[in-house]
Amino acid sequence: MPHDFEPKIVAFVCTWCTYAGADLAGTSRMLYPSNVRVVKFPCTGRIDPVFILKAFQKGADGILVSGCHPGDCHYMAGNFHARRRFAIFRKLLEFIGVDLARLEFSWVSAAEGGKWVEIVTELTGKIRAMGPLTQFTELADEEQWSGMLSNPELKAVFDQV
Amino acid sequence: MNSTEKLQPAVIIDTSGYAAAGEEIRKEAARLLEQKIVDAVVGYQAGRRTGSSQPVVITDPAQAEKLVFSPTCVNNLSLYLTKAKKEIRAKGKLAVVAKGCDLRALAGLMGESQLKREELVIIGVVCAGVHAAGVASGEPLTDATIAKKCRECSVHIPEGADLIVGKLPELPNLSPTEKELLDKLDAMTPAGRWSYWKEQFTRCIRCLACRQVCPFCYCEQCLCDRGRPQAVDTSPRPAGNMGWHIVRAMHLAGRCVGCAECERVCPMDIPLNLLNRKMAQELKGLYGHEAGLTPTEKGPLTSYDEKDDQSFIK
Repeated sequence: MPHDFEPKIVAFVCTWCTYAGADLAGTSRMLYPSNVRVVKFPCTGRIDPVFILKAFQKGADGILVSGCHPGDCHYMAGNFHARRRFAIFRKLLEFIGVDLARLEFSWVSAAEGGKWVEIVTELTGKIRAMGPLTQFTELADEEQWSGMLSNPELKAVFDQV
Repeated sequence: MNSTEKLQPAVIIDTSGYAAAGEEIRKEAARLLEQKIVDAVVGYQAGRRTGSSQPVVITDPAQAEKLVFSPTCVNNLSLYLTKAKKEIRAKGKLAVVAKGCDLRALAGLMGESQLKREELVIIGVVCAGVHAAGVASGEPLTDATIAKKCRECSVHIPEGADLIVGKLPELPNLSPTEKELLDKLDAMTPAGRWSYWKEQFTRCIRCLACRQVCPFCYCEQCLCDRGRPQAVDTSPRPAGNMGWHIVRAMHLAGRCVGCAECERVCPMDIPLNLLNRKMAQELKGLYGHEAGLTPTEKGPLTSYDEKDDQSFIK
């Protein structure tokens, strides 16, 4: 069934657990929405909050960050550091006024293909119901003088055309 | 309209002790330089306008008489000891004049291995408050001219300095204006907060004064200056501005000691310290960390606990 709105979802995943988990979902022929774009990182500890910001600015409607369960990190403690960093980054985004429902975090191990499918399906449904994220793209539009006709003279010229 | 407000007499903050503190600073600086305990002293000297002051580095004991202390000594001098100011570090062992808030920055820098306590002589000044940005240098220190951070100061006395000069006068009770604004923002809807910050950040001209003045922005290459890959758009337009201020707040989380220099130097009057303060407040709530009280090797974001809260992770 076609939908009115297909959300763009970016998933930042760690190569050792969640990427392998997503791979398992694929090789097991499980179905999940194709809205998610997977970006592979060596570890969740490598995922800089700037990447999330950039993805939002470039038009992502939802973001999923996923890695190894605590204690399973290939690099011993990368996910523990990431957990603190994202806990505080969420608070910052909330303070700036971003809806945190658009940013999701999960632990998915290499054996949890099913959990991956579940999380992606649920997130896609949620974001689809929320509609597109316009906050950041509107900011970018304001950068181009032609993007917004805030200037009355410009608007007059535009209306004449 | 506002006439009743204007007619109310200003609450004057007693700064009569600042001159005596200045005298003690001069004496101590001359002694340290004469006895070759230090090679240079970073302090304040009188500025060109009457009553104003500016940072100075002196290396000659005869120059020690230039040093002053007044409510216009607003700068956080710990900035001059960081990696960003190599030419001052090259002079050798340093002494620095520090107010309580500056001392917290020094402790933070020591925690990050940027300074060594034994290589530094700290002349602590008891401070009742300094001027806010844009106040004429001749003005007395009152509840109207005092900096926002000083209204809620908890470090009037720089405990832990090598020498503490000055005496604390009786202080009036000032309303915590910054906390009030933070509470107001916290109570707003996300959309309300977004429009508040959007308006603030849109004004930003990306002069990067907030970065240049921050004692903790000592990176040799800033992420936000890099072009390939570009993390944050470098031109002063709304999206890039939003990115810059989010990145700045994130990089200072757990490190910022709230000296509010960023806010003081901001030519567009963006309440930058609010972001830093919010982050500090959250980190205290989540991990019980307060930056810059004592030099600690690991900040809250460079350490972890296996039992950290993960209720937000599926």
